[in-house]
Amino acid sequence: MHIRNILAIARKDALDILLNKTTLFFLISPILIAVLFAIIGGLLANRSASTGLLLYNPGNSHVEQYIGNVLTGTPIVHAHSSDEVASAFGPQGSHNNTPYILGLVVPPNFDESLRAGSHPQLTLYINASAWSAGDQQLLEHALSDYARSVTSPQPPISFAVTMVNLPTTSNFVQDYTQRYAMAGLLYSLTIGISFVPGLLVEEKEKKTLRMLMVSPASWGDVVLGKLLVALVYQLLVSAVVLAILGGFSGQIPALLFFVLLSSCFGLVLGLLFGSIIQTNGNVGTFVGIVSLLYTLPSLVLGPLYNVLQGTPFEQAMRVLPMYYMADAFLKALQGQATLQNTFLDIIVLLGGTILLFFVSIWSLRRQAAVIGAI
Amino acid sequence: MNNILDIMIEAHDLRRAFRHKEAVAGISFTARRGEIFGLLGPNGAGKTTTIRILTGQIDPSGGSAMVAGCDVVKDRARLKERIGVVFEEQNLYERLSARNNLAFSCWLYGLPESRADEVLDLVQLRDRAKDHVSTFSNGMRQRLMIARALLHRPPMLFLDEPSRGLDPISARDIRLAIKQLSEEGITILLTTHLMDEADQLCQRVAFIVNGKIVANDTPRNLKLTHGERVLMVTLTEHGQNGHSALQDMTIKLDDPADQQRLSVWMAQDRVLAIHSHEATLEEVFIEVAGVRPA
Repeated sequence: MHIRNILAIARKDALDILLNKTTLFFLISPILIAVLFAIIGGLLANRSASTGLLLYNPGNSHVEQYIGNVLTGTPIVHAHSSDEVASAFGPQGSHNNTPYILGLVVPPNFDESLRAGSHPQLTLYINASAWSAGDQQLLEHALSDYARSVTSPQPPISFAVTMVNLPTTSNFVQDYTQRYAMAGLLYSLTIGISFVPGLLVEEKEKKTLRMLMVSPASWGDVVLGKLLVALVYQLLVSAVVLAILGGFSGQIPALLFFVLLSSCFGLVLGLLFGSIIQTNGNVGTFVGIVSLLYTLPSLVLGPLYNVLQGTPFEQAMRVLPMYYMADAFLKALQGQATLQNTFLDIIVLLGGTILLFFVSIWSLRRQAAVIGAI
Repeated sequence: MNNILDIMIEAHDLRRAFRHKEAVAGISFTARRGEIFGLLGPNGAGKTTTIRILTGQIDPSGGSAMVAGCDVVKDRARLKERIGVVFEEQNLYERLSARNNLAFSCWLYGLPESRADEVLDLVQLRDRAKDHVSTFSNGMRQRLMIARALLHRPPMLFLDEPSRGLDPISARDIRLAIKQLSEEGITILLTTHLMDEADQLCQRVAFIVNGKIVANDTPRNLKLTHGERVLMVTLTEHGQNGHSALQDMTIKLDDPADQQRLSVWMAQDRVLAIHSHEATLEEVFIEVAGVRPA
């Protein structure tokens, strides 16, 4: 094997892929699907955008003006009762699709109570997906300053805080964004699987393989050249898809590792079928079936997660290695990947890649023995 | 005495079997430097299999061969650097341009891409360098394949049915190109089932039938040795009304009865013209091989 020959074949195929309408379509379609997912994700985000402070201030305390100066640009919506504010947020720790970033219940006669030396309680509700812990502390300090401005320097008030949408769990929009990113990424992995057998089979069909066999290139050079170009295009498109879907978040090194591992799995799967299949028509059939096998787990763990979670269909998907790709991607995107919870994913993908690799080598060696007679 | 350096192909008892059928059943021949050597035979005779063995694409089942100083089995890597092959199929990359097809071969052989422009000039395709091969005619594709085979300046060229599927003008252009290459010192082994083409081009030909060589000599010697000795005689026929008619007759010189007839005509002063009829290579092939070429 010669690196010059491998690079020559990869370079030729890289150009040919762009000139071939079929492969160009395969190259662009994951990007188009990612754009579609990004549009859907954006629409969901707009619907769920949190704005404003929901305030119940029956005593018309001046704290409202004070907060308005602190939260510049944040609209204040007046509630008619404390229950209205509570129902917009509570209960504690729940996952609530509230449109507000803050809720505040000011007791009646708040300012008078402060001047009288009482310790009135402000009830603060926080939407953690739009309001961080740091922002909470700043607000509490501001409210304390207001209270001090009304009474003595001693902190006269205490806070009872109810927090919803805690940051350790994704909210609706963030969760769906990550799931769409996973689905888009998984679909982009079909590139390697479609390119490798297609490139090999076309050389056989067009008899150009025979020309290569009388050139300085060997059968090994041909195979490695095609794997190389497929891997490069695979990783490029996956990176573009991730960029479009905002997927460069969470545990990026882990995500990149899983992308590389999954790409290798797809490439050796394509290599095995490329050594068996003889016509481009059969390649099309194979790619269609494999694309379906990639799409199903991406839907189960992606946009249809809430519908299919825990169903027999989801359980059935666990026989597919692609399910474990999707699972690993999702955990990395959510920043929740650990060696323990991705161990099975890694084992399935790595083991599958190694097994497919050796089977491919065996099949390719049989091919090489008869290549001169093709 | 033949200088060993002049021998570009030396095949000894080459054999190759496919699933109990012997496609090449013991072929031996040599080809000298600068020679155009023709391997002629009907479809399925073993011509292409022989070329595949000599170009290192497949291993022989038996025998040995040296091509351009390289053993076709043990020295395959060096063999590939010293041979060029033009296949029967037009195996070009159709979506790539002519230049990119050649540039790819330049990358494989470690040649500068400027070499692609040189060979495009050689085959008069420079003006179509940037056009996709899919837009080329058969003749242009054949010329491009010859250009590709010549990129690395091989001393030995294999041409498998070089004018198959070409119109007469393109086929003539290809033959001219082949002759020119031979004059430049390149040894050419070509396979064809077109006897006329072999007669025009080849200094020596071998007839191959059912995997065996049944004749191996120059076309002239084969025709002289195996062809019938025939004369075409034009006779006058004097009519009753005084007008003369012409009649063409064929005389086989090896037939005593025909010899007698010729003598009679000459005595009658009826012989207007005599032309010799040289056997064609096809006729020789049919006589030697017992089968039609294609």
